[in-house]
Amino acid sequence: MKETIRLRPGQQEILKYHGGKMGISAVPGSGKTWTLSYLAANLIQSGAIQPDQEILIVTLVNAAVDNFSSRISSQLQAVNQLPGVGYRVRTLHGLANDIVHERPDLAGLSTDYQILDEKEAERIKETIASAWLNAHHDFFEPYLNCQDYQLRKVYEEKNNLPGLVVSISSAFIRMAKDWELTPDTLRERLSSLPIALPLVQMGTEIYSEYQNALVYRGSVDFDDLIRLALRCLKSDPALVRLLRERWPYILEDEAQDSSHLQQEILSTLAGESGNWVRVGDTNQAIYETFTTASPHYLLEFLQQSDVDSRALPESGRSSLSIINLANWLIEWTQNSHPHSFARTALTPPLIQPTPCGDPQPNPEDCPACIQLVDREMTPEQEIAFVVDAVEAFLADHPDKTVAILSPRNVRGFKFVDALKNRKIPYIDGLLQSTSATRLSTGAIANILNYLRNPESGRNLAAAYRVWRRNEREDESTAPVIKKVAGIIQKCERLEDYLWPSPGKDWLDEDAQLKLDERYFDELLSFKTVVQRWHNAIFLPIDQLILTIAQDLFLDSAELALAHKLSSLLRQLSNAHPDWRLPEFTLELANIAKNERRYLGFSQEDAFDPDRYPGQVVVATMHKAKGLEWDYVFLTSLNNYNYPSGQEYDQFQSEKWFIRDHLNLESEIIAQLRTLIEKHPYDWYQPGKASAEAREELVRERLRLLYVGITRARSWLTATWNTGRPSSKNVPALPFLELINHLERSK
Amino acid sequence: MLPTSEQQALIEHPISSKVFLQGLAGTGKTTAGALWLQKLILSGIPPHQILVWTPQRALAQPYLDALRQMDQPVFSLLNTITLGGLARRMVDLFWPAVSRVVGVANPDLPPHFLTLETAQYYMAHVVHPLIVHEGLFSSLTINRNRIYSQILDNLNKAAIVGFPHHEIGDRLKSAWIGDVEQIHIYDDVQVCVNHFRSFCLAHNLLDFSLQVEIFLQHLWPSALCQGYLTRTYRHLIIDNIEEDPPVAHDILRTWLPEFDSALIIFDENAGYRYFLGADVESAYTLHRSCSEMVHFSDNQVQSLPITHIQSGISRAIASLNRKPEPSADLMPEDIRAGLETPGEKIKYFPAMVDWVADRIRTLIDAGVPPGEIVVLAPFMPDVLHFSLANQLDALGIPHRAHRPSRSLREEPATQTLLTLAAVTHPDWNLLPKRINLAFALMQAVNGLDLVRSQLLTAYTYKEFAKENAFPLQPFEVVPPATRDRITYRVGERYDRLVSWLHSASQEDPQTLDFFLNRLFGEVLSQPGFGFHNNLESGNTIATLIESIQKFRWAVGAQIGPEPFTIGKEYLQMVQDGVIAASYMHSWEQPDEDAVFLSPAYTFLISNRPVDYQFWLDIGSPSWYQRLDQPLTQPYVLSRNWQEGDLWDAEDELSAAFDSLHRLSLGLLNRCRKKVFLGMSELDVRGYENRGLLIRIFQQVFQQAQKGAA
Repeated sequence: MKETIRLRPGQQEILKYHGGKMGISAVPGSGKTWTLSYLAANLIQSGAIQPDQEILIVTLVNAAVDNFSSRISSQLQAVNQLPGVGYRVRTLHGLANDIVHERPDLAGLSTDYQILDEKEAERIKETIASAWLNAHHDFFEPYLNCQDYQLRKVYEEKNNLPGLVVSISSAFIRMAKDWELTPDTLRERLSSLPIALPLVQMGTEIYSEYQNALVYRGSVDFDDLIRLALRCLKSDPALVRLLRERWPYILEDEAQDSSHLQQEILSTLAGESGNWVRVGDTNQAIYETFTTASPHYLLEFLQQSDVDSRALPESGRSSLSIINLANWLIEWTQNSHPHSFARTALTPPLIQPTPCGDPQPNPEDCPACIQLVDREMTPEQEIAFVVDAVEAFLADHPDKTVAILSPRNVRGFKFVDALKNRKIPYIDGLLQSTSATRLSTGAIANILNYLRNPESGRNLAAAYRVWRRNEREDESTAPVIKKVAGIIQKCERLEDYLWPSPGKDWLDEDAQLKLDERYFDELLSFKTVVQRWHNAIFLPIDQLILTIAQDLFLDSAELALAHKLSSLLRQLSNAHPDWRLPEFTLELANIAKNERRYLGFSQEDAFDPDRYPGQVVVATMHKAKGLEWDYVFLTSLNNYNYPSGQEYDQFQSEKWFIRDHLNLESEIIAQLRTLIEKHPYDWYQPGKASAEAREELVRERLRLLYVGITRARSWLTATWNTGRPSSKNVPALPFLELINHLERSK
Repeated sequence: MLPTSEQQALIEHPISSKVFLQGLAGTGKTTAGALWLQKLILSGIPPHQILVWTPQRALAQPYLDALRQMDQPVFSLLNTITLGGLARRMVDLFWPAVSRVVGVANPDLPPHFLTLETAQYYMAHVVHPLIVHEGLFSSLTINRNRIYSQILDNLNKAAIVGFPHHEIGDRLKSAWIGDVEQIHIYDDVQVCVNHFRSFCLAHNLLDFSLQVEIFLQHLWPSALCQGYLTRTYRHLIIDNIEEDPPVAHDILRTWLPEFDSALIIFDENAGYRYFLGADVESAYTLHRSCSEMVHFSDNQVQSLPITHIQSGISRAIASLNRKPEPSADLMPEDIRAGLETPGEKIKYFPAMVDWVADRIRTLIDAGVPPGEIVVLAPFMPDVLHFSLANQLDALGIPHRAHRPSRSLREEPATQTLLTLAAVTHPDWNLLPKRINLAFALMQAVNGLDLVRSQLLTAYTYKEFAKENAFPLQPFEVVPPATRDRITYRVGERYDRLVSWLHSASQEDPQTLDFFLNRLFGEVLSQPGFGFHNNLESGNTIATLIESIQKFRWAVGAQIGPEPFTIGKEYLQMVQDGVIAASYMHSWEQPDEDAVFLSPAYTFLISNRPVDYQFWLDIGSPSWYQRLDQPLTQPYVLSRNWQEGDLWDAEDELSAAFDSLHRLSLGLLNRCRKKVFLGMSELDVRGYENRGLLIRIFQQVFQQAQKGAA
């Protein structure tokens, strides 16, 4: 490989790997994905694997799967093989799916088991939780801390108790599955326990009902998939042997977010003396809340005697000033954070700029390009401030990439609205399903919506606009389309247009149409299409969608999406035999409006910021991980979103109507732990878990801030807001420290 | 066509011979069998003395055709039979002789023979309460209908493999390697099997397994039955003996000496129906009962490159299965001539369908008859069939599917009739939603389009009518302006239909099949109504009525005396997917010159070679994966399974390779010129599949690269 000469020393050392266990600590922007894919290509080309073996690459999110595949494939271009030969890139869910498919019987599944969409799983939980709450109306009495007049609000508003029951039980179910506990096991243990664990009792009942609902649908959820994969591996030693033979090398990316089950599955697949390379950055572990994911697994691995520990400390991503800021956050956390429990949140290695002559030199340093704004702003003022700044920046730098990062989706949408109002181009694909997915899905939903109200001229006009959506931007055709849509909307008797009886053809009768042949021809063509849709109404839902898609889409990705949608709706129609056109339309509308995040194809999920210069990408901090932009705006850096364990901090998981600041999601997990660990002198103590959850959140938020800072190449602006009038938020403590540091540096 | 030298040599054997004929697919064995039949008849043997035995009825077609094609008239019927057919016929015939020993509750009453559909219904009836109230199968995540069908499959396996049904659970448990907490599912299976069998005996119901068991245990051993059979049939022709289960071989082994002549045809490397109990080893032992062994080796089908690719696949499978075997290198020219893949990587599934349609068009433009092209997939899912059929329609290329894309219950004609039945019987509490009634009326009444139908039902349908009130109002309730829009001609037809339905609702209860028969005959097939001169719908409705009749005959006595209760039960079972989910078989002509879209195994069993094959979705594990998991296990329940062995992933892999080996060789034996491999990186659900077949072809391509080097 010619490119070897351009490798940094750290990378060169890693690429010498040919077996055993290796752990790599990488800093943001150090090219770990690149190095790992290069390593995979290297191993394949060096003949380290047999023709039918594969390098298994496990990564965290779908977006990275395509990224890895295309990198390896381009590095292997010289070799003439069928697509994807010699390597397999999977998320943990994808890998689990592969494993379960080897022996579905061991998992208690049929060969064609379905994986439940997250939204459908959520819907099931909501239904069960609501029924449970109705049947156990007094259950929460001991936990409540509100006035009588507020009770109705607490019990009935979706965001209050009903929502809390769903979130508590979701956390409980996820954790129970992670610990491989079935509802039966839990019930058995509960019955043998001398003390009452009411939250676990509730969680078990909801868990049991939820699993029944899955069984009824012949489906598993994503958490089941992982649990069942491990069950298959544990049950059948021959399966482990075969898979070890098939995947003699395992390369694991983002290992800092490895969960208990991921660790177990991969260590089983690698075996005692297997070949396992784990790459990660413990400072970027931001997926730990209510999961068993933990950076400790990577840290422990790095310290094992049989592990070759390496580091990739050099990064060419950011300017020196931004690197210094990120490094200073690590140092402050380690040495000066007011709480000792937080001091382990961030650890070395510090980021080092790339050496001279490096193929990826750091952007030119610009201390003035960092703006940490300590000005007090309301949420609305903050949005206006950021949008003003974005607008001004893009006017001067139309070729640069920009991101606005917020801690939560809801806030992100507010920024999107503001950008929309100011007509600033934006990309919100990271907040919700990609706009391409939404547009295509929305197009089909519009047609279905018309078909369920076929006598509505307004709906037919909408369907017509959808049908002609690709030409609507064209200046020459746009006026015709607008005019024809108007004509259709005004048509009072659609049957005389679409299915005229003799002597009553609207197209012949309407004098206005005769004035312009273009309108007439357009209406005639559309009529043929609509007649086809009408005739297709008898088809099963999947075939109806494909029929419509053939008239709407040309692009292969859009057609593929239509196939996937048809498959999804077919699945839903099997699960809900009573569903008809109205329900399917609603479902598609939800996908289109993004009330549910639709799992698109992996390519759609892969996101390359450099494809959007001059546009503003709005994303959450979590979604921004692994990405970089020339200019990054970090927003809402207040003590509500980034608590530091101060007395005045507020915690989102602690509900206003629950007594003693109890975080019931944490409390139920603590009760669950008590149930399974059975330490006779370590019984459950109410409130302890809530306090620990606060500490964990403080640590995670420090890492999230670090992730945010390290997304920026050259420009960085950070702001905070006061939150709702009642909350009186203040700047987050680490943010204030960063401001002070920057001042001192100046 | 003149017989080949091998075929000629076979038919020159004396008529009194008992010949075991073996050979690979494509060597002309069935043609030789048909020639043998003609020879028997020409020698003066009446056809009714000849028994043609096949594993499934359709495979006897070449023999019936051969009889038709004979120059001289034939004055009696040829007997074609399957194991199941024989069992049922004998049980029916000799019921009074055995009814007291088989354990039925009412031996003086005739038995009710269950179809697969009605057996499934009764299984649901028996097992559903056990699932709900006793918590059976609670650790499984599969659809309940699958549970019912897999328990039935187990019962059938016990019958055709020849072990007592009460051993099913223990046999499955003994091979289980999985979680011990999960093993109870096989106890649950046994509980359900026992309940079902008791229920059947208590109600004189004979499912397939009971028919076969009664035949094997009580009739075949009896002099009465055996004497009848041996006297009736003097000459035997068996085709595809390797696809039959072992009890069929047991019977034939004892029966063979009684025949005056026999020709047994054995397809080497086949045994595709292993999941239905086919037993190749046991089939092969029948050669010992024959006086002559004949081997056909001249492949009448394959080109040389296809033969080489076949060897390449065998070698690849052996190598992947860690049992490398030496063979000649595959050359790049073989690949070029015999295999074609898309020129560039195809990411999405629809692009693969485009590629297939494009290649088919190119072949047809070059003069290839459409009937010489077959498109194969492990299954032919709706989406694939529909997309491909649409593309071929757009290109004007005729095509047909062995399995149409929709089940009986999804047919618009079925939905229309059942919707109208529900409307006529409001006391069933199954009134359809308005949108469904609008769709049904569109089908039923000529001139009623989607717009007018919605307008009409908005005024005339009382979905939430008072209890048991007839919910359809006459056309006159529609406001005059809207009536004008719907047209009075349509209104008059609608009134005729509603008036008929209303009268029917007032009459004494009729059976659902009778009701639908009348509705179709008296109204819907008349001029002005949707099914007038519509043969396809007529066929669908005939199938529906037949399904309901069988359901009524089998179920009627158990449910209750009122015929409409059965009608309601049928409708509910349709809605739950328990019945009418099966595919219709008879609506397309097999001899048409059209591109054939088919599941791979169906094509294999149909024994028809073609010039070009398209194999789609080759990354999918469905090409080899065992069906009907996890409650049944064809290998463990076979006679070849060693008691005490555990079924592990290596067995699974080995079985998968074996199955793929048989399948791919079998398909190539039926391919004259070229195979097109359709693959996209992501399947229709967006998943990337890396099944064994794609890995086998990777090896084949690598072999060719080595050959070139």
